Amino acid sequence: MRLSTRLITFCAGLMISHASLAGELPQRWVSAGGALSEWVSVLGAESKLVGVDTTSQHPESLKSLPSIGYQRQLSAEGVLSLKPDVLIGTEEMGPAAVLLQIRGAGVPVEMFSAQADLASLEGNLQHLGRLLGDEAQAAQVFKNYQQQLDQHQQQVKAAQATQQAPGVLLLLGHAGGKPMIAGKDTAADWLLTQAGGHNLATHSGYKPFSVEALAGLNPEVLVFADRSLTGEAARKALLKENPVLASIRAAKNGRIYEVDPTLLVGGLGPRLPERLKQLTAEFYPAAPASQ
Amino acid sequence: MRTLVKPRSLFIGLSALCLLSIWLSLALGPVSLPLFDTLRAALRLVGVPIAGEGLEQAELILGQIRLPRTLLGLAVGGVLALSGVAMQGLFRNPLADPGLVGVSSGAALGAAIAIVGGAAFGGLPEFFGPYLLSLCAFLGGLGVTALVYRLGRRNGQTNVAVMLLAGIALTALAGSAVGLFTYLADDATLRTLTFWNLGSLNGASYARLWPLLIVTAGVALWLPRRAKALNALLLGESEASHLGIDVEGLKRELVFCTALGVGAAVAAAGMIGFIGLVVPHLVRLLAGPDHRVLLPASVLAGATLLLFADLIARLALAPAELPIGIVTAFLGAPFFLYLLMRGRH
Repeated sequence: MRLSTRLITFCAGLMISHASLAGELPQRWVSAGGALSEWVSVLGAESKLVGVDTTSQHPESLKSLPSIGYQRQLSAEGVLSLKPDVLIGTEEMGPAAVLLQIRGAGVPVEMFSAQADLASLEGNLQHLGRLLGDEAQAAQVFKNYQQQLDQHQQQVKAAQATQQAPGVLLLLGHAGGKPMIAGKDTAADWLLTQAGGHNLATHSGYKPFSVEALAGLNPEVLVFADRSLTGEAARKALLKENPVLASIRAAKNGRIYEVDPTLLVGGLGPRLPERLKQLTAEFYPAAPASQ
Repeated sequence: MRTLVKPRSLFIGLSALCLLSIWLSLALGPVSLPLFDTLRAALRLVGVPIAGEGLEQAELILGQIRLPRTLLGLAVGGVLALSGVAMQGLFRNPLADPGLVGVSSGAALGAAIAIVGGAAFGGLPEFFGPYLLSLCAFLGGLGVTALVYRLGRRNGQTNVAVMLLAGIALTALAGSAVGLFTYLADDATLRTLTFWNLGSLNGASYARLWPLLIVTAGVALWLPRRAKALNALLLGESEASHLGIDVEGLKRELVFCTALGVGAAVAAAGMIGFIGLVVPHLVRLLAGPDHRVLLPASVLAGATLLLFADLIARLALAPAELPIGIVTAFLGAPFFLYLLMRGRH
């Protein structure tokens, strides 16, 4: 038989066997997408993960799983070598040709949304619930999440009744050097706005900044996300690499705060509400602490 | 002339190495297949009628993943090395590489336009989307090279020195245009662009392979016919034309073959540096500068080196994968230095 005909027969065979298996739930999962892997863990299915991509950094225990590399640069054979029942990822996953090869080998590729909004999260959680065979739990998790965000919005409204929204900038950098400012249409912008801040940057996407422009905007609060350092070390590095920052209001008043950069990729993650609450408290220091 | 290796033994050695690299490239990967299964699946792929029970996975991995990847590696490695020989012959300078006539920077510009522009415009038709990048890279490479060639021509003569300088200027220009697109790109497209610049044989498919195989076969069959003319050109342009060589025609052919070959290779596998510069060098160190040996030997050596590099790229961090551009230089540069140092004593 010729190669092509044999392949077609084989693929058809795979589809049939796949359809007959549709009742069975996937047991070996490979996840390419940070927030997605976190949600799998939250839904209690971490033990089903047999491989994750490099953006899956939380919870910490995921780091001990085999790494399939960066989500846009997957290798078909690499993923297949983990013998997965399913590959989950967002529309950021690729390259497309590799996804085709993985599907061709009979491994379903389930696509999720990386959009940072509640509707996408609801869809993602429903989808995960179906794959895990526990849609009720997934629905409950979403409901709780929504409630947390709603409550948080009340907190922001209450704070804004007595105080003006602070002008904020978010810097994304690497060991303090050459930070970029988060503009419109970024997860960072969503985070700042949701926390009740006013993002002073008006460009879209992440762009390198000119120190003069930054000093000119003179934000009341500075939020930074550092990809290689954390805590005090990151703060020091930022000020050391960018001395002009010392002259802005945020630095003078000690209002420089940190967010974990992994919160900013792959859509709304489970750790966001917690950080939002804190951020709001940091934006509105005079407001009573939330319940 | 005395050389380190006689042409005959060079060809035997290189062919053996090349066959070895092909076999390893088919037999090894993150998915470990029993050797016997690989062998049987390989025999079935070439049409030997043997029983195929239990071979589904082996056949799929071999036929749909490793074979196209191996063919892609052979073609890309071969055509890049060949273009390197053509450029070093044209400029009569061993430091020349295909980038000099602007084909690489033009392709990079085309790719940047496709990646950043494609992301901005979004909804491309399903059947065309995946090919946009390849097509833009190919056309970019061809376009900039044509411009460089055009700028080097005056009164029906091609001035190689002017062409070289025009190549440098246009490379700088294309580089700054790529920089502009980098600035405009968002985080995701930026990563795509970065990885494209490091090259990869990942995700090879037959649909993308055929154009490259045809171009490679064409260039690999055509250039060796001009080996004698290239040898004559080594003496100098006027000397070559006194020997009865159509120097202008030769230059045109060399530039055209390079633009076509490198353009197609880059379109299929992204930017893979080093092969075009160093492989011809390696062969010359081993077997001397005679183009009758240099051209075919470089094809073999380039293909072999790229396949070995790809083996490391896919195995070193499995199940993740390294960009191959990192490996080619990492593998080739020390070996090249070793030969260079040895040659001095």
